[in-house]
Amino acid sequence: MNSKNDIHPDSKLAEIIINHPYVILMLEHFEILLPVQDLTIKQICEKYNINETIFIAFTNLYCNKKGIPALKLTADDAVSITRFLAASHRYYSELIYPEIMQLIEDMSKQNNHREMKLVSVFFADYFKEVTTHLDYENQIFHPYVNCLVARDKGVEHVENQVDYSVSQYQVRHDDIEMKLADLKNLLIKYLPTYNDQLIRRKLLFLLSELEFDLNIHSKIEELILIPLAIELENKNIVACK
Amino acid sequence: MKRTHILILEDAPVIREGLKFIMDSLRNVEEVAIACTFDEFTHLLKRKSYQMVLISPNYLHSHHNQIQQLRNLYSSMKWIGVQYTIIPEALLSKLDGVVDVYDNQDTLATKLSKWLDTQSDDALQNKDILSERETEVLRLLAMGKSNKEIADELNISTNTVITHRKNISQKTSIKSVSGLTIYAVTQNLISLDDY
Repeated sequence: MNSKNDIHPDSKLAEIIINHPYVILMLEHFEILLPVQDLTIKQICEKYNINETIFIAFTNLYCNKKGIPALKLTADDAVSITRFLAASHRYYSELIYPEIMQLIEDMSKQNNHREMKLVSVFFADYFKEVTTHLDYENQIFHPYVNCLVARDKGVEHVENQVDYSVSQYQVRHDDIEMKLADLKNLLIKYLPTYNDQLIRRKLLFLLSELEFDLNIHSKIEELILIPLAIELENKNIVACK
Repeated sequence: MKRTHILILEDAPVIREGLKFIMDSLRNVEEVAIACTFDEFTHLLKRKSYQMVLISPNYLHSHHNQIQQLRNLYSSMKWIGVQYTIIPEALLSKLDGVVDVYDNQDTLATKLSKWLDTQSDDALQNKDILSERETEVLRLLAMGKSNKEIADELNISTNTVITHRKNISQKTSIKSVSGLTIYAVTQNLISLDDY
């Protein structure tokens, strides 16, 4: 039985966004633009050709409702999920990380404590690590998942990725959230201030927003995409290698 | 008792939500996170540190070996079973304690403070202040030295260095070496010339 707060196909997206504005981030990753008028989830999914089950599961995550239900997903869903993740990667590398970097620069101009120089270096180095992480997924893991999907659908001529498997990705999949939390703690607890409260607040809000989004991003990768890719791999492991 | 973060692994929704509801109402409990599946449980453990985990009997049976491995990995955490069916003695002996679904709020509060207070009295007394040895380890770490180099310099084992590092991160809330380096500069433990 559904409770009144459950998200279901007839829920109006606008009402969900009013209570949970971070859902807008999810919409952008699905490449859905505001305004959404009075459309329900079912209507939005039809309009943008998105699997309703995935859309509702992701919306629950962005509404901070705990837990991921056991989802029955198909090979086509793996493609939608990699597309969603790739759009998120573009948002991270082209928009939010550069925006944060700019704010750190602005803060360094206001606050010339010696520690701020270290913060700029810290974030620039961290951004390089994130870029390596995202590039690996864009160039190796997502194409591999798409290869598994193509094989599953019986496509004959698929470019092989010899000697690759999901387990290699699992070993390599590192945590890119830790340094964000470190930076938040440094800003909240330790970094001396000098006329920078406004920028510091903006920076903390952006960092919290990014942390929230990245946390869900890694849940989608580890708890939805990886199990689905392993399932596809087991189905056609011989065919794909 | 310090502010406690608890993680519950329980697949039965009514028990899960009930436990969370009561735990949330206890003083000094800061956060009660929930995992419905074992994958979600390991995912959350990797990402955050908890002082206590509560595990349903179903998972104690079905994931017995994995739980033992995790327990060795996260040995400073309290591992508590949730009892609503009989848990065999062999499994019980490997846990730090058991909560019973018939426990009321007061009993749970008493059990929790017993388990957590005995955890680390020293750490509680000096909750956020780095000890002299931890400060030394942090200073060397911030200067770019490896665990092995720090161990040699301070004449302690690498494992002891790792324990100090864990305590430093817990006290400062900062985990990465580069983040700790900035912290060390803010506290005047190293100067930028050392860096």
